[in-house]
Amino acid sequence: MKTKFGIGIRPLIGTVLLVLLGLVQMPLEFRLSDSLREKKLIPSPPDLSLRESLGQMGFAAVLGGLRSLIASITYLQAYVAFENIEWGKVDSLMTLTTRLQPQEPLYWDDASWHMAYNAASSYQKDESLRLPLRDKLYRDYVQRGIDILNEGLTYLPDNPRLLTRLGDIYNANSASRRQPDARKAAHYYLEAYKNGAREFYERMAAYQLALLDDRESQQQAYDILRRYYDKGRYFDTMNTLFPELEEKLGIPKEKRVPGPVKFQSR
Amino acid sequence: MSSPSSSLSTYSSFSLSRIWTLATNTVTQLLRMKILVFLAVFSVIVVAAGFSFPAMSPEQQLKLLKDVSLGALQIFSMVIAIAATALLLPRDLEDRTLYTILSKPVPRYEYLIGKLLGVLLLLGGGLLIMDLIFSSIVWLKQSLIISNQIAALRSEQQDVPDNIAAIKAFTGQYGLTWSLHAGVWSIFLKASVIAALSLLISCFASSTLFTIVVSLGFTIAGHGQQLMREWFVSKLSGFWEQTIGLVMTLICPDLSLFDLVEAAIRGDVIQLAALGSVTGMALLYIVGYTAVAYLFFADKEL
Repeated sequence: MKTKFGIGIRPLIGTVLLVLLGLVQMPLEFRLSDSLREKKLIPSPPDLSLRESLGQMGFAAVLGGLRSLIASITYLQAYVAFENIEWGKVDSLMTLTTRLQPQEPLYWDDASWHMAYNAASSYQKDESLRLPLRDKLYRDYVQRGIDILNEGLTYLPDNPRLLTRLGDIYNANSASRRQPDARKAAHYYLEAYKNGAREFYERMAAYQLALLDDRESQQQAYDILRRYYDKGRYFDTMNTLFPELEEKLGIPKEKRVPGPVKFQSR
Repeated sequence: MSSPSSSLSTYSSFSLSRIWTLATNTVTQLLRMKILVFLAVFSVIVVAAGFSFPAMSPEQQLKLLKDVSLGALQIFSMVIAIAATALLLPRDLEDRTLYTILSKPVPRYEYLIGKLLGVLLLLGGGLLIMDLIFSSIVWLKQSLIISNQIAALRSEQQDVPDNIAAIKAFTGQYGLTWSLHAGVWSIFLKASVIAALSLLISCFASSTLFTIVVSLGFTIAGHGQQLMREWFVSKLSGFWEQTIGLVMTLICPDLSLFDLVEAAIRGDVIQLAALGSVTGMALLYIVGYTAVAYLFFADKEL
């Protein structure tokens, strides 16, 4: 049976049904995508500015649900640039990678590591550059690493991995001193520990707090380390820190930790 | 021998057994088209990805393996869903099988459901096999990485239970988890929706090429539904842009809803409730598109 326009009745009903289906599914799609996005199970739509960086094909692949694969490819390209010591390229490719998958802590961590450690050290050791320029580039790249981690924390607030990396950069005891700041290091290590990082980072926070001059920080450092001691967990760093802190805090002799304790270096 | 009247009285206008027969025949028909060559290609890709990139960090090695494998799985499932479905009706017409089937008391909707079910069975079976291969390689790679890390700890005399547990937990998150299977299920759902959409297109298409090209276009547009809504409906004020945007939004499935793969690769927990909602949405699309496909196919002159 056909209409006067030569179109069958059933295809016409089919077209109407298709539109009705669209009207029914649209609010459901909205609700489901909001709910899944809230639970971080599906990614946000890609930024249109990515099209310029990825090219048409790359962008189409990202649209086609292959964002994770494309991010892996740009990550590998960044790795090749790292091997060729092309720091600008490493930065732009890692930025692209983190834009593609901002929920992946691994990429923020690696992007920051490339800048704050690899690029910064590479420039610091580059004898073809004048010393003031080397120092400036070193500081700039360390700061770039910090900025990357802070940006990552806007997408992944309280992520222990990113927080510990910030603590590492500010660590004032570290052999690879980046931007020593014991107060900030202690803050980030403690935040990381509160958000699921290993106990080791709470002790790292205590070691940083012990370096500070104010009594409140020293007391906090002592309380943390004493708690481990009271639980029967000794670490060699405690042997030097306990006498120092007890002296500074004026803890009575009878309440002090007795003598050098047996090491638990592991 | 039963009389025509008794046969008529036992005839049912909807028969699951007829649909099943059509579905299994469709699977056989597709297998004869050597569609499972994809499986062999996939296996090679997974094995290659599994043992490449040894210079990377352990979690990055596992992530790359999962990215490459699940990416390949997505591409293959989408290609099979579009190509297999687009080929079905024209092939049946060419072979004249369609006339043989429809000259028997088989309603056209049963024919369509049977064909779609056949494609879904093939997709499901193929994905299940690929999931098994992929999971085995991930597990193997994960075990190798963990044992290497424990050996490194032992050489530094740091192999205390705490450190070993931390390594197992950290590597395990990037290794084989249940979420990975949920990710593969979401790939199956996406491919099923694409197959249903391709079936609908093939019911009014004039050629196989038309079906493949239009289905591919809808698949890409379906992934960009969110962008399309923002870009066409909200940002541009032109009448035609808004109309095109609205029409595309109405008829395109939002395929980004099935992109659970990223969360699966990260090792995030995909709750059953979320998986259930996504499955429900896929069913709505499949049932809706198949119903519309029938309305187009019912009046099609063969």
